[in-house]
Amino acid sequence: MSKKRRIVSACIFALIIAGLITGIILTGGGRNDEEPIKEVMRDAVLHESGKINLFGLIEVNPGLVSALAVSCTLILFAVIVRIFVIPRFTIKPGRFQYLLEKAVSLFSSLAKENSGHRPVFIGGYIFAAGLYIFTSTIFELFGIQAITVSGRPIALPAPLSDINGAIAMGVFSYGVILLGGLFINGPKGAFKALKDFSLPISMSFRLFGALLSGALVTELVYYFTLTSIVIPVVVGVMFTLLHALIQAYVLTMLVSIFYGESTEPPHIKEKKTKSEKRSAKHEKVS
Amino acid sequence: MPLNIDIQQILLHMLNFAILFAALYFLLYKPVRRFMDNRNKYYDELEEKTNTTLSEAEKTKHEYEEKLTALKAEEKRIKAEAVNEAQIKAEKIVSDAQTKAADIIAKSKQRAAKEKDSMIKSANKEIRHIAEEAAQKLVIDGEDAYETFLNAFGNGEN
Repeated sequence: MSKKRRIVSACIFALIIAGLITGIILTGGGRNDEEPIKEVMRDAVLHESGKINLFGLIEVNPGLVSALAVSCTLILFAVIVRIFVIPRFTIKPGRFQYLLEKAVSLFSSLAKENSGHRPVFIGGYIFAAGLYIFTSTIFELFGIQAITVSGRPIALPAPLSDINGAIAMGVFSYGVILLGGLFINGPKGAFKALKDFSLPISMSFRLFGALLSGALVTELVYYFTLTSIVIPVVVGVMFTLLHALIQAYVLTMLVSIFYGESTEPPHIKEKKTKSEKRSAKHEKVS
Repeated sequence: MPLNIDIQQILLHMLNFAILFAALYFLLYKPVRRFMDNRNKYYDELEEKTNTTLSEAEKTKHEYEEKLTALKAEEKRIKAEAVNEAQIKAEKIVSDAQTKAADIIAKSKQRAAKEKDSMIKSANKEIRHIAEEAAQKLVIDGEDAYETFLNAFGNGEN
């Protein structure tokens, strides 16, 4: 056996021993003595006990604080890009310029595909919505801490895993579709959007359900010490990234499709002349 | 409210997103899109210019080809004309030469005939003159002829 092989074998053996010892220690018991899992899950869904004081004015769910943090970060990023990057754009794009252009063209082409009549405004809207959903979902990965009213530290969750945030997003998007139809097609356009009255509920709860499920799985995984060693790398990061991408795509696509439907110009039917009507009647009879 | 739904917080979330949407739309989406549109326009113009230049070049090439073809045809025509003219000239020169030669031959024949006549006439004259002289001599010197003959004969014997 060569020297190199011997070293590798020793390393593997040491790792196995370390793993076994860790397992023996960890399987000694969970965190049941601190907070029951039922409470943890309930708190993750409802945020009843973990409220945060917002600028000393009102007590809000941590999701709203996360939303504000995400918005501030995004706006700051946009301001920096607008001042320092966009004026230096070149015909042949660099890496960052290419990334920005790719993001913008992705949403503008989605808007053009699904609502080709008025793609400029809705392209901007789904760009903002997509960026917000993606960033706010990824936000929970950073585990930024805040202090609750009760003085307990809490990791800020994804803004859309808060039911209020999800409802706000769904209703706001529905409002955009409704107002778009009303402005472009008048009452007819608004009526088209009103027909899908279940849309704000479905959009809100889809977002909430998807992000909440991710949050719950992560909470569950972190609750037990045994599962909080390696598994979160896969469960937490991969699930969050997938959620971020899928939810951003689903909501933006739905909004662009429904916006396209409500702003679609009405089809004008050509009036038939009397002789045409008569000949059509004869054809039917025959 | 069930599920901890709070209207105030929903409105706060909406306000937050509305501000974010406005900021992202005006600070990022619109300028980047404008830049991309301008670049597309620039590329379209460039393509249009290239196409125009290309079509102009094609047109000019076509024109030059047409001109070249016309010039070649003209060259052929001029060559044919020149050959034709040269042939006509050559034929004329040959015919002129032939006419001149015929004239010269005729004149020479005439001159020769005249000379022949005059020579015959002068020969006749001379012959007559000689005959006359001989006859005269025969008449005048008849008496001495015998003696002359004898002398001549005697000279011959010696």
